[in-house]
Amino acid sequence: MCPVLGHLTGRLESADIDAEHRIAVLYQEFGGPLLRHVRKSTGNDLQWAEDVVQETLVRAWRHSARLQWEPSLIWAWLLTVARRIVIDGRRRKSVRPHEVEPPEVDMLAVPDSSERALSAIVVAEALRSLSEEHREVIEQTYLRDRTISEAAEILGIPPGTVKSRLYYGIRALRVLLQDKGVAG
Amino acid sequence: MHEGVAAYVLGVLDEEEVEEFERHLDTCARCQAELKEMADIPSRLDDLKHSAAASEDDPPPMSMSR
Repeated sequence: MCPVLGHLTGRLESADIDAEHRIAVLYQEFGGPLLRHVRKSTGNDLQWAEDVVQETLVRAWRHSARLQWEPSLIWAWLLTVARRIVIDGRRRKSVRPHEVEPPEVDMLAVPDSSERALSAIVVAEALRSLSEEHREVIEQTYLRDRTISEAAEILGIPPGTVKSRLYYGIRALRVLLQDKGVAG
Repeated sequence: MHEGVAAYVLGVLDEEEVEEFERHLDTCARCQAELKEMADIPSRLDDLKHSAAASEDDPPPMSMSR
């Protein structure tokens, strides 16, 4: 083998080991919490949640520069990555209606259901305290699984306005939830 | 650009917008800080979404819009 190629192969191998190590560390650090988190949004579908976690960590590994961030920022970012994967999956399922089946009810796996019901009441109350403009954009985007562009069309306002109102609306919502003790 | 952080956290941006925002996020300390602050909001909204949308065929999650 020519020396240059040999050198390159060596570097690639060590890069692979590094990559494998990083992904193992990612699983170790974030795999468990991420799975618990994702299960809530997959309607407790464990298989789907596991796929989402795996895809999330693979994408994270592809953006390894972000893995130099502090852990709380990595975590916040991983949640956004996982959420997009779940939303994409849900959209795909909803265009194939025969695949939409009620999630298996597994009471043992959802010990926090009463906690969530309580949180739902608090969140609904907080949303009601927002201005009409702010509440409307939160409802027309996230709560109805719509993108900014789709909501803009329905509301008849520019996408930039939806984005901006969503920003101030979410900030206001966060303050309200913090006051009620349900947001960090 | 900073205002995109809420839409980004909620996952309601188009794919190209996500990439654009992430490029911004890589270098913007303010958006990184807000990302952390807002990270918990979607799951709080999910609590509402799932409790109200127990039946899959009726997605509107609440009846507060006029």
